[in-house]
Amino acid sequence: MDILRRRNVMAALVCVAAVLPFVANPYQLFVANLIFIYVLLSVGLNLLLGYAGQLAFANAAMFGIGAYGTGLLQVHFGWPFLVAFPAGALIATAVGLTLALPALRLTGLYLALSTLAFAQFTQWVFLHWEGVTFGAGGFKTPQISFAPLPVDHRHGLYYLSLVIMVALVWFAGNIVTSRIGRAFITVRDSEVAAESLGVDLLRYKALAFGLSAFYAGIAGGLYSQMLNFVSPEGYDLFQMVLQKAMVVVGGLGSIAGSVLGAGTIVLVLELLREFKGAQEVVFGALLLVFIIFMRGGIISVIKRHIPGWEEPLHRAPTRPEADPPAASPLTPPAQERGAS
Amino acid sequence: MTMLSYLLLSGITTGALYALVALGLVVVNKATGVINFAQGELFMVAGFIAWSIHVQFGFDFGISFAGAVLVGFVLGCAIDRVAFRPLLRADVVSIVLATVGISFMLKGIGRIIWGGKGDYLSFPPITSTDPIMLGDIVIVPQQIAVLAGAIAIMIAFALFFRFTRIGKMMQATADNAKAATLVGIRIERIYTLAFGTGAAVAAAAAVLSAPLTLLYPDMGFSFFIKGFAAAVVGGLTSLPGAVVGGLAIGIVEALAGGYIHSSMMEVSAFIAIMLVLLIRPTGLLSFHKARRV
Repeated sequence: MDILRRRNVMAALVCVAAVLPFVANPYQLFVANLIFIYVLLSVGLNLLLGYAGQLAFANAAMFGIGAYGTGLLQVHFGWPFLVAFPAGALIATAVGLTLALPALRLTGLYLALSTLAFAQFTQWVFLHWEGVTFGAGGFKTPQISFAPLPVDHRHGLYYLSLVIMVALVWFAGNIVTSRIGRAFITVRDSEVAAESLGVDLLRYKALAFGLSAFYAGIAGGLYSQMLNFVSPEGYDLFQMVLQKAMVVVGGLGSIAGSVLGAGTIVLVLELLREFKGAQEVVFGALLLVFIIFMRGGIISVIKRHIPGWEEPLHRAPTRPEADPPAASPLTPPAQERGAS
Repeated sequence: MTMLSYLLLSGITTGALYALVALGLVVVNKATGVINFAQGELFMVAGFIAWSIHVQFGFDFGISFAGAVLVGFVLGCAIDRVAFRPLLRADVVSIVLATVGISFMLKGIGRIIWGGKGDYLSFPPITSTDPIMLGDIVIVPQQIAVLAGAIAIMIAFALFFRFTRIGKMMQATADNAKAATLVGIRIERIYTLAFGTGAAVAAAAAVLSAPLTLLYPDMGFSFFIKGFAAAVVGGLTSLPGAVVGGLAIGIVEALAGGYIHSSMMEVSAFIAIMLVLLIRPTGLLSFHKARRV
């Protein structure tokens, strides 16, 4: 069973994703690319909701800001994608950082409402600031080419998303095992305890909001380029619930869980593409069933039945390479896992 | 002047509607300490049910009103049993997400059952459509019906909490659930009743307002968020606060829509909420100790 450890499975998934373009048809490739984008979104949201415990409803808005930022910088200023894309993500991050300010004074439902109001405000800006955002109809973004590289647009974007996703998921995994991740969890479990332990609430809340907004902004930039089209309706409340469902189905407070949750939900979404009403019913029901009967999400079942899936909060030493597979997780330390 | 009075009047009418939605939220929150995110969808479903009873099956308005309120009550109780009872000891994140799940299920069901017949359904007027002139001010009788309904429900609630046994039990549960259990109140029943009552109020609001607005599957969310905002302005646990908050938001919306730009109408409430929450996080009208939720 040792081959099914978390790291091995994740590595295998990445390898499958890397060779997928050689066997998949365009539709399957599109779905895989969509999964990468949603993995980014749900990992970012999980940092905020699952680790730092902030019940915010603005992640879809950040996704939209990333997409609009990237698209509009290209359209209005003629910036190349590779410049506009990080710029869009930075704009989203900046907005996310400012959202941490209300979070300092508000908790629980009040924070939920203020971020919900903010998300609606963002939607309104997308819809009504027509001179800049082109209103309800949306706008087309220019298609980039990966000219020097021997790939077409679709494959190039696929690999770009894959590389960014792997890097950012790895980065998130390192964040949560660092002191930052432990600070997030303290803030989630008790703000009073966190403060008395010397955790600076403003700093860590801002960090959580900024990080999740950064992930959402990156996802938004990739998404706008994948569709070559940006319009307000992609970033509405349904999008928010979709992301919440991914985090809950995968497992709150688990990076590997977010990856699995995003994959599961995107596949369900694709299967139900035909029926708009049924999609909503199924998502509502999934959310409910997982919250009530499988509080820990998919990941908790895996953790219970397959060894090697625990996600330690400390930078636990890994097994030495040469160790026989029978080794228990308690094997003595060996230096590994470079600092992030 | 006529412009101002006209705007104030329409603001008060929509405000009364928001106040009704907020009353439903406050009743649930008072007893259970959570917000039912499916409140707006209950509003939508109740409106559709009243439409079906009234228009499709041809019963008169009174029966459709009663039917919708009854269905609303049952749905509210069901939400308690399905999404709240199993999570009694869970954190607020889980409960909120569970009610969000319910709200999406209701919206999907609404879309499947009623959405297919053209997305917008209109409810026939129940009062005469002739406007009444009060000096320069024009009032549509339906607006009076909404206002009267809101006032009647508010008074009924006040009496209910002050004079009935169940109302007092609800208050006791809201104040201190543990102590309420100790004196023999079965708080779980109280929770169910609170959810049912909150949903019934939403249903009443939906039927009262149905002739003024069109019915469509996505209508719930905007009513929910306005009602939620109204409840927050009032501090989430105060019934009069919910009414004042609802009227305030309705008036702000109408004035912003009239004097600034019509598109400001949807968004002014959100801006107002963000400001209110930043300045007075526990609500403008809450003079009690801050209640953390």
